[in-house]
Amino acid sequence: MAISLGRYLLALDGSALPSRDLIGGKAWSVARMLSLSLPVPAAVVITTDACRAYLETGSVPTELAAEIDGAIAWLEQATGRQFGGAKPLLVSVRSGAAISMPGMMDTVLNLGINDAAEAALASEADNPTFARDTHRRFLELYASIVLKATLADTTDHDPASIRAEIATQGLAVPTDPRAQLLAAINAVFDSWNSRRARRYRQHHGITDSLGTAVTVQAMVFGNLDARSGTGVLFSRNPLTGELAPYGEYLHRAQGEDVVSGKFTPEPLSALAASAPEVHTQLMLAAATLERENADVQDIEFTVQHGALYLLQTRSAKRAPQAAVRFAVDMVDEGRIDTKTALSRVQAEQIRTLLKPRLADGATDGATVLAHGEPACQGVGSGVVVNDSDSAEQRAAAGVAVVLARATTSPEDVHGMIAASAVITEQGGATSHAAVVSRALGVPCIVGCGAGALTALAGALVTVDANSGHIYAGLLPVVTPDESDDPRLAKLTSWAVAASPIKVVREDDPAAAAAFDLGEVEGGEDPEKLPALLVGKTCVRGGAIESDAGVAAALAAGVAIIIARHPLPVLLAAIHTAAD
Amino acid sequence: MNEQTHLSLHGLAVKKHASPQAVAALLGAEEARVTAHLVDAARRGRCVEAGDNYLLTPAGRMVVEANYSRYFAAARADQGFNAAHARFEIINEELKQLVTDWQTVNVGGSQLANDHGDAAYDEKIVTRLGALHDKAAPLLTAFATLLPRFASYLNKLEAALLQIEDGEPAWLSDVSIDSYHTVWFELHEDLLRVLGRVRTE
Repeated sequence: MAISLGRYLLALDGSALPSRDLIGGKAWSVARMLSLSLPVPAAVVITTDACRAYLETGSVPTELAAEIDGAIAWLEQATGRQFGGAKPLLVSVRSGAAISMPGMMDTVLNLGINDAAEAALASEADNPTFARDTHRRFLELYASIVLKATLADTTDHDPASIRAEIATQGLAVPTDPRAQLLAAINAVFDSWNSRRARRYRQHHGITDSLGTAVTVQAMVFGNLDARSGTGVLFSRNPLTGELAPYGEYLHRAQGEDVVSGKFTPEPLSALAASAPEVHTQLMLAAATLERENADVQDIEFTVQHGALYLLQTRSAKRAPQAAVRFAVDMVDEGRIDTKTALSRVQAEQIRTLLKPRLADGATDGATVLAHGEPACQGVGSGVVVNDSDSAEQRAAAGVAVVLARATTSPEDVHGMIAASAVITEQGGATSHAAVVSRALGVPCIVGCGAGALTALAGALVTVDANSGHIYAGLLPVVTPDESDDPRLAKLTSWAVAASPIKVVREDDPAAAAAFDLGEVEGGEDPEKLPALLVGKTCVRGGAIESDAGVAAALAAGVAIIIARHPLPVLLAAIHTAAD
Repeated sequence: MNEQTHLSLHGLAVKKHASPQAVAALLGAEEARVTAHLVDAARRGRCVEAGDNYLLTPAGRMVVEANYSRYFAAARADQGFNAAHARFEIINEELKQLVTDWQTVNVGGSQLANDHGDAAYDEKIVTRLGALHDKAAPLLTAFATLLPRFASYLNKLEAALLQIEDGEPAWLSDVSIDSYHTVWFELHEDLLRVLGRVRTE
């Protein structure tokens, strides 16, 4: 067992794994890393027993207050720092139930800071900007998460003015670290009964008495000195799928700095050069975590005074190409079975890989007319039209159109639906054009610059929303196929063996007798398919290759689907049957 | 133009391209009345009928806008309404980021389409939406104290949120339904017109 600090508190030391029910998923994964002898910042956990007591009585159990003092003392000893002291200990406070659940409180970071601690941290790190920023981030997070205040971006605001802004909403952030901690713990327990969490439990049949634990973990800082830094490591390349660790490292920085994009991180080789022993330890940790979890890991880490700390590990997000390569390679390496491999590749990822793209060399010598930020990937071409009504009319007449606007608004949606690509002069990744084009799956480039597109009206162009370039003329486009790529071919053969339904290509003899949804009213509308598919054994066209179409075919007992691309259909069928 | 007719045309200006039924739903008004207003306005050349839908003519747009300061003077002068709008703009930025995070994921420094294969990632965003909604709801209530029709936006946002939370992700940003983003965008457009402000992007 971890070290007991009383009835409701455990200190995690890796000596044995407490139950997930008692300490919640997040503390459990910290304890698991400790049990694998991996370096993790010191942490204590308030168990779900305390939450249950809180839920029964409406207040924190009296023993807990005393136990928290013991827990703080334990953390202080483990870190050599003091909560609210001269060498300030700051902590993160996070919720965590045995089953991960939406609606629970987000993590509060840097708790324990106040004016005095800011000053102490500033002199310790010899970096007043960092200490000020840490203080500001704490106030912002605490205000929004614990107090539920509405604050505008607080960057460049000082703590006093943030506090004043919070006060206008009738709220206040305690200055006493212990009071901050107690209020945050209460907020975690309260979040167990948030509207969203209650609804989710009801919907999924999870008992209300499960309760949440609270993990309190020492913060480590990557910007304390020249031997500190922070980074992210993927155990394999998440973009290409290559079997090579991939990551970024920022000297003298905190995790937020990597995410913010304000700083340019260095490749991991920089860490290997400056601190080879830390780099070696990190690579070993990545290998251990990948092996233990049997999946590619995304690991956040910090180096403080030359010591490595792992903050978090999780299954890595991956680009479609990498999803295929991870799945196939890990089967070949004997780490997972084919069933697991198939479960890790989404039909949509394969559809993305098989989307038309510019032929190799197509852009050689082509004229770039404009460029901007890709908002929805893909390739589209046609004649440039400047207003949505004519885009709709010309598309209805069978002309491929590219809609070019300064910005888009709701009155452009019908034009965007009709267009093969959308390009705008103003706005970024969160603009209306970006949001709507992604919802529609229409290739889109935004922010090409004021006046950059007006003159293109009437021209034939090719929009490469993968690179963000708009080219003159209609460039050659190719449609990839599963059989072109050995890994896709392998995945297809496994999918054929595992699929609950037969899927064949359009050149199969069965296609001739197939019921063609493309020929009937409503065949493009997934909602109408259940009625249309009654009694059909072999189907093609319309919406049959979409996830909803495949689900409808399975439900209706269809025996064969004729598909342009079999693999996405096979995967959709396998995943539907597994749900 | 009287206030009721103006309101119907304002509703059409927000929807851009809509049936009387959709305009009535937006305004929480009687469909027959909205239809009468639009038919009359079409006769005067202020809007045109295209299929089942109406849209404002350039002249109609001018008339609608020219009358805003008259019919929305109370809201424009109201401190509470303006203060609520200022907070709404802050939350609007959060919503835009949230929808973008829903649609795309950062993978090793590259922004890719979210394939919705990671339930935990999606759930986190739905949770954020719930928290955002809890912050937006009091603002809508504040708008509705002066202009009661704003209450219907709150109802529609809530309905979309419940659908999303019950596992119907289309209700977050699909454009063909009254998804959270669709309703929010109309609400924003409505507010900007009421207050005589211009949308930035």
